[in-house]
Order: sequence, then structure tokens, then C-alpha cells
Amino acid sequence: MIDVQEKLKEIGPYVEMPDDDMLVCRCEEVTKGEIRKAVHEGIFTIEEMRRYLRSGMGLCQGQTCGKLVKGIMAGELKVPPTEIAPASSRAPMRPIEMEILAEDGGVAHE
Amino acid sequence: MKIERYDMIVIGAGPAGLSAAIEAAKHGMKPIVFDENARPGGQLFKQIHKFFGSKEHKAKIRGFKIGEELLAEAEEYGVKVVLNATVVGLYPEKEVTVKIGDEVKHYKGDSVLVATGASENMVNFKGWTLPGVIGAGAAQTMMNLHHIKPGNRVLMLGSGNVGLVVSFQLLQAGCEVVALADAAPRVGGYGVHAAKVARCGVPFYLSHTIVEAEGEDHVTGVTIGQVGPDWKVIPGTEKHFDVDTICLAVGLSPMAQLLKQAGVEMADTKGGHVPVCEEDGATSVPGIYAAGDVSGIEEASSAMIEGRMSGVAIACYLGYLTEEEKAKRMEELEAALDTLRQGMFAPKNRGKLVEKTEEGIDVSMNLLEKGYVADTEIERYPGVTSQKGIHPVIECTQNIPCNPCQDACPKGCIRIGKNITSLPVVDTEHECIGCGMCVASCSGQAIFLVQEDVEPGFGEVTLPYEFLPLPKTGDIGKALGRDGKEVCEAVVTKVRTAPAFDHTNLLTMKVPNDMLMKARFFQA
Amino acid sequence: MNKTAEVIIIGGGINGCAAAYYLAKKGVTNVMVLEATKSIGHGGSSRNGGGVRQSGRDVRELPYAMYGIQHLWPTLSEELGVDVEYTQKGNLRLGKTEEHLKKLQTLASNAQAVGLDVRMVDAKEVKEICPYLSDEVIGASWCPTDGHANPLTTTLGFYKRALEMGVRFMTDAPVKELRKVKGKVRKVILQDGTELEGETIILAAGYESRYIARTIGVDVPMTRLIDECLVTEMQPHMFDIMLGTAGADFYGHQAKHGSFVFGSDSGLEDTTEMRDPSDVVTNSMTLSASCRAIMGYIPALKDAKVVRSWCGWLDMAYDGVPFISPVEEAPGLILACGFTGHGFGTGPAVGLMLAQMVVGEETVVDISPLRYDRFQPVR
Repeated sequence: MIDVQEKLKEIGPYVEMPDDDMLVCRCEEVTKGEIRKAVHEGIFTIEEMRRYLRSGMGLCQGQTCGKLVKGIMAGELKVPPTEIAPASSRAPMRPIEMEILAEDGGVAHE
Repeated sequence: MKIERYDMIVIGAGPAGLSAAIEAAKHGMKPIVFDENARPGGQLFKQIHKFFGSKEHKAKIRGFKIGEELLAEAEEYGVKVVLNATVVGLYPEKEVTVKIGDEVKHYKGDSVLVATGASENMVNFKGWTLPGVIGAGAAQTMMNLHHIKPGNRVLMLGSGNVGLVVSFQLLQAGCEVVALADAAPRVGGYGVHAAKVARCGVPFYLSHTIVEAEGEDHVTGVTIGQVGPDWKVIPGTEKHFDVDTICLAVGLSPMAQLLKQAGVEMADTKGGHVPVCEEDGATSVPGIYAAGDVSGIEEASSAMIEGRMSGVAIACYLGYLTEEEKAKRMEELEAALDTLRQGMFAPKNRGKLVEKTEEGIDVSMNLLEKGYVADTEIERYPGVTSQKGIHPVIECTQNIPCNPCQDACPKGCIRIGKNITSLPVVDTEHECIGCGMCVASCSGQAIFLVQEDVEPGFGEVTLPYEFLPLPKTGDIGKALGRDGKEVCEAVVTKVRTAPAFDHTNLLTMKVPNDMLMKARFFQA
Repeated sequence: MNKTAEVIIIGGGINGCAAAYYLAKKGVTNVMVLEATKSIGHGGSSRNGGGVRQSGRDVRELPYAMYGIQHLWPTLSEELGVDVEYTQKGNLRLGKTEEHLKKLQTLASNAQAVGLDVRMVDAKEVKEICPYLSDEVIGASWCPTDGHANPLTTTLGFYKRALEMGVRFMTDAPVKELRKVKGKVRKVILQDGTELEGETIILAAGYESRYIARTIGVDVPMTRLIDECLVTEMQPHMFDIMLGTAGADFYGHQAKHGSFVFGSDSGLEDTTEMRDPSDVVTNSMTLSASCRAIMGYIPALKDAKVVRSWCGWLDMAYDGVPFISPVEEAPGLILACGFTGHGFGTGPAVGLMLAQMVVGEETVVDISPLRYDRFQPVR
């Protein structure tokens, strides 16, 4: 069980850092500062972070930034990165046009 | 809806996937292999360097050649490889949907092997999104597959084998590598790879990281700085380089998404998110296997053995092999894999500082911190002997699983013995005939031939040379030391090329006798 | 850790988080929200298509759906300090056959009877509202006050604001059972054995509410069903309306971000087994079937690339509308479950009404038809 209020107290307030404006998720243009700040607003999991800031939700689906976001969150939460569960994996594994996906041999029946 | 069924579906036609399919096909299976790329072989076709290991690991063969051999073998055994085939998802009941051309096809496998490999890691620093910041793997693709020079002046971040090998290839492609930096305090890859980069004059900056990539709309420069124990840059240690390319070789992460989607039990490790699997690749879902980098980053050589193991395991799972037959074949493969996982760079030694070789010799700290063995350190290794006549000088100073040099010498001058990781010993009882086979066979380019007094006061050094244009006899240039700095003038006295050398040319240069143990590279 | 609270809310989804927020707004901050997983909004709250609509709803739901749209959604972003991307540009429910139009007409008439502005439009007007639709569309129902919002930021917005106001949130805190103390439901026992105690317990845990309610001898008739959504890469701005169809082929909208979010199915979902609801997958046909359905109405999207698909589970009430009411036989317990796949848009209103029930106020609209014990045998 995680007591969010207690954990927020434990990690202390968000403190600005000089590289906060650095882009971390380039697909969705999310900065390090936004991610750090969100942790102090109670966003403790990658799942929540993706939903809150869209980090890792773009074309590459977090292939590039997943590990970086994890590291930043772990730093703020003062836990080892392996304690931050990675995002779930979903089809399609690569972005694919609707028109192509539609052609799977399936035929609608009424 | 039409669903095609195969007894084995392999995702990824890299070294692991192809090896698995070949092995399974040998036992009577009819596997189908999907790969999203236009050509098979995974990363093998980017690997223009000679591989390490023993004969059974295809040592001293260049990576792309191993790829060609694998493809030929796959064809021989009737393995069906479908290219430009992107797997969309891995669903329950081992169903795979694959984008092929303008449609999606459904396949079901009685077994599925995921061999999707890995992707390159990134690091963040100011300006990391500027064009010109590229992955080392991308640089390799540009150079070795598409024959495009990634840039003119390059800084490499990362001293693991990828960073070292790609740095050397950048030099071969005609780029200037202005520096090789790594936040770690010591070189991560093989010392021999580091040494061949260092002697070309590339300075190593260990305990250094990138502070900033500079430039408006593309990289025009880079600043690195020394990191303290807290991994933060120590103010005042910044160094600037004019570069147009920054190459990142900061590790790989397994691409295990399909396994995760399939509900396979996963583990979050330092090396990435990987499936929990048996040695033969069996995951927590019966019939789903994983092999190669997707189950944990290693070398292509081990990926090929892991693939074979999965092929055997799947053949047994589906009744093409008995348990006894499986056990017998697995034993051979386990032994081969075990050999590769020995030595200083064995998985168990990852992150550890090994200070002494298996022989009890001090490891060169200079090699670990600067990328080359100091002149004062080199003589303590058993491959370095002092003889009057022509003889090999083997600057192999770390225990790595590799032994082609032993078989290369027709005269028995080089001895490694049963233990493949042992340092090569030069046996002074046997006479060297100067054929140079050892020089060409060494994947680490760490063997030189040295001969004193070829003429009064002067001797000759023969070194492996893989650059173009190839110098000619009579060319005068500079001899560079292990540290890449000029030690003296040198005259090329001989350049030898032979099919048996496999594109490693032997360049012989004349230098003063007292420079024979110092001069290790020729610069025109 | 303080193991008591005035109100314990079981379920960290939109209804639980909204109830916590509105309670805090009413001055009740001694509230504890229990989320079974590690992530707030892990269930249907973050997996839906983002519809904030009134049209197409059962008349029993319409009053509070309308209340939310009139009184809560317009100012929600401002209140929560998070952009919930609320867009009120109308909802078209499309028809391709006469039968479709008949169905839409019935729905529209029912809604008009309770005061909703919804009317039938012909093919020409459909094109005027949304020029990207297929020529096969022969008519639609049009509700100009419907819209959509971002379910992800809305749920997390309620959470974040409630957190700021002092509400305690416990994640990774799955509930094992409820227990009465002297005739009143007071104790909430977690799977790890932790015993918590509250004056009032709100049970808003989706389908899982059923298992929890059973521990106190109350069962609510519902089943669960998997439903899938997909999202495309960012597209140029095309339209702001929400779309649905009479045939229930798909629903969705273009998000503020530019991507399109659609929900659809392959029709086989009814039979999909759910071994572990936190790790659901649909069958291999849904993604392709969804694309066919969407392109059948919006051919212009054929080249849009799908970047991700996901699914969630619906808590399907036996008669299609939720259970929102205090439980008389278990005093102290308030139920809010069975939202049947359309609970996102009503989340704010439901949260508000749950808070009202706790403090003993009359709810903003009458929701007595949603009593937990309304069910009767059919013969």
C-alpha cells in the first residue's frame, strides 16, 4: 500500500533545476521539469505519467524515452529505477495505417 | 477468417532467430521467420569487423560473412523468411498478426520464438534533439549498409564494445573521431578494441559526459566535462570540440514488447525489461520462447547459440526430438555458450573491476583509463617477448574468450591452451617465419611482428592495417605509438594482401631499433 | 498511519476521485480513497472514448447527465487546475439505413420528452456539421450540447485537486471485505489485512464492487465485458464533434492533441474470458474490425496511422444503467457501480451526488430509479 500524502511529504517539494527545460519525450515534447513536477503532484507511476503528460504516448510509444522517464521519476521518488514499473505493451507494435490494418481478410457480416 | 498455421513462428531474422529456425528445420520442422526489415540478418550485416571466440563460434570471420553463411544455411534447410513483415501483435493462442505489404495476415504457431533484438538507449543533455546527434547503431547502418558517411568530425559517447567498434569504423569511413568519452571511470569494452582506436590518435575521456550539444539547427560543437562521484559535471573541467556529429553508444534495451503483450512473465532488470526464461528460451507461457538480445543483451555470437538452443527446445516440445536427443544437443550448445561467457567480460563480472588476469598479471590501468597499454606496462604479458629475429608481439592483455591466433601460426609459436580465455603465450622455442597469419587472424588487431636490425640501427614492425588508401612500399610517414602520438618517422617497406588475410592488410614499416616496441601505427 | 476516516471511498477511478473532490469542497477532507492497483484511474476511467454526452442515454440517467453538462463540465478545467479538454461541439449519431434512423428517432423522442435538445438531421445537414463523413450516411441524430473530454486528465485532475485539498489516497490497496460494527458498515479490510474504519463507505470499484459488496451480503446484478479503443497519430485538425452510430459500430472524436480516439469491437467480446482484469487483451481481430468500422464512416482517415490500442472492462448492469444509492440493509454503505460503459461523462455529477448523499443533502436531481435493489424477475 502506498500512502500518497505520506510519500509526498517524504520526497519533499519540487525544486527547480537548471535542466528542467530539457526535452525528454521528443514525440510529445515533454520536458524533464514537467515530469519532475508531476511526481510532486502525486503522479507516481509510468502509467499515470503517460496519461497526465502524454510522455511516451507518441509515435515511438516510449521506445526512446521510456527508460529516461523512469530514471527521472525514480530520482524524484528516491527509489531505484527497477521499482518503477514500465508501461504496458500494446498492438500495433509499429504505427500502421488504418487502411492497411483494415485489410486482414476479415469481412463484416450483419 | 483465414489463419495460416505453422509449427514454429520466428519473429526476427537476426542471428538468434535465424539460428533457431535453422536448428529446428534440421530436425524436420518447417519454421516461418518474419522480419520487419528489407534484408535479413539483423545487425550482422552491419558488422564488418572480425568476431571473437573459437572456431565453433566462427571466430575471425567478419560479422556480415557470418550473416551470409546463416542465410545460406537457412536456405539449405528450407527455412521460409518473410521480409518487410512487421508483426503487429502477439495474441493469445500464439496468434501473430503481421503487416505484409498493404495487408495484415493472421498466423498461428504451435510455437512462437521472439527474437526481436534490442534498440539503442538515449541519454539526455542540452541539445540532444539537434540533428547530428545519432545512435552508434544508426551510424553503423549509414556507413556499412548505405555507404554514407555520418559526419566529418565525430564525438563518440560510450566506451563499450559498440562505442569502440563503431569509433574504429568511423575512422575507416574517413571520419575524424575527435574524442571518445564515457561517464564511467574505465573503458567498458575489450581492451584490444580500445587500443586500436587509441593508436589512431583518438583521445579517451573517461569519467566525462556530454554537457551540451551546440548548434542552431544542427550540431556544430560539443562540450564535455568531467563527472564527480555524484555523476555531476565538475565546474571548470569543460572541454569543447568542434564536431558535426555526436554518436551515442550508451547501451541497448531489449525490445520485449511482444512478449509483454503476450502475457509472458517479465522481470525489470538493470539491463532492461526482459522475459523470465529458461536457458533454452522457454518463457512462462508454454510454447512461447525468447532468444538473443530480447532476453538480455549479449553478443551476436551468444545470440546464435541461444537461438540454436531454442530451436532444439522447440523441436523437442513439438515432438520432433526426444528428450534424450535434446539433452545431447543442448549439452554441446551449453558448452559453446559457456565458453563465450568466460573471462573478464563474463556476465558475472559486469560492473566489477578486475585487477588481475587469470595468470595473476596486473591488468593495465592505463588501458582502462586511457584506452592503451603504456609502454612501461606492455612487457609483463606473455605474448610480448624479446627476441632478436622476427617474432610476434601479442598485445593481448585481458582474458577474453578468443583463440584464432593459436591455430593461425603454422609453426606453433603461439599457445593458448585448453582454456580459451588464457592470454596467448609466445613460445620462443619455435621459430617464427614471419608469415603474418597471426597478425591477420587476430580479431582484436593486437598482434604485431617485430624484427630488430633489419639494417644497421633499424628494425621493422608489421601491423594489421584496414584503412584506405593503402600505403605503398616506399611511402614515408609517421609511426604512432600506442597512445596515437608520433614516435618517429617511418618508411613503409612492405604491404601484404592475401585472401587468407581477409582484408586485413599487413603493413611493414621501418623504424629505429629503439622504437620497435613503441611504434604501433602508421600514418601517411 | 491513521486508519480511520470520515469517509472511505473504495475505487480510485473517476467516480471515486470526483466524490473525494466534491466532499473536500464541502469541507469534508477527512476522506480516504483506496485504489486496488498502483495507478489512479487504472480501470475504465482511463480506458474509455471520452464521450460527454446526453443523447443516446436511458431516460433514467439523463437528468444527471444533463446536470453535469450544464453545471459542472464547463468550469471543470478551471476548478481542477488541469486541462480536461472539455469540448462541447455536439454529438452526431449516424445512420446508414432506414432502420438506423428509426432507432435514432426513438432515442431522440425519449430524450426530448425529458427536455434534451436533440433532433434528427438529414444527410445534407450531417455533411454541413461534419464534411468528412461518408456519403453512405443518410441521416443522424444531433445533440448540439454533447461533447467530449480527456478521460485521462479528468480523472487525474480530480485526484490531484482532491490530494491538494487534503484527501488521503492509498494506492496498491486492494480491499478484501467490508464488515459491520453494531449493525453499521464501518470496517474496510484490505487484502494485506489492514483494517480501516469509516463513518461512511462509498463503493465505486467498477465490476470489482460486486465481490466487495458480497462480503456484506449484498449482490448487484452485473456482468463484465471487454471493450477496445485505439488512438491514431496526431492529425491536422478536422472536427470537434463527438461521433457515434446507430449500429454501435464505433464511437470517438479527435482529441485536442490531434489524435483520434475511437472505440469499437469485433463482436466477440461477449465471449472473451477475463482471467485477470488488470491484464486484459482482446482478440486479434478487433483492431482490424475497428479500422473497417471507422473508415466505413470517415473514409478520410484511411491513411491515419494507429499508434496504440488498449482495452478495458465494462461493469454491465443487468438493465443498462448504474446503481447509485445508499444500501438500506447495510447502513453506512453507498454504492456507485454498474456504469455499463458510459460512466465517464457523468463522473462529475455522480461524484457530486455521492458527496451530497454522504453529508445528507438532497441530490441535485432525483436518482431514485437507480436504486441498488430495483431488479425484479422477468416472469
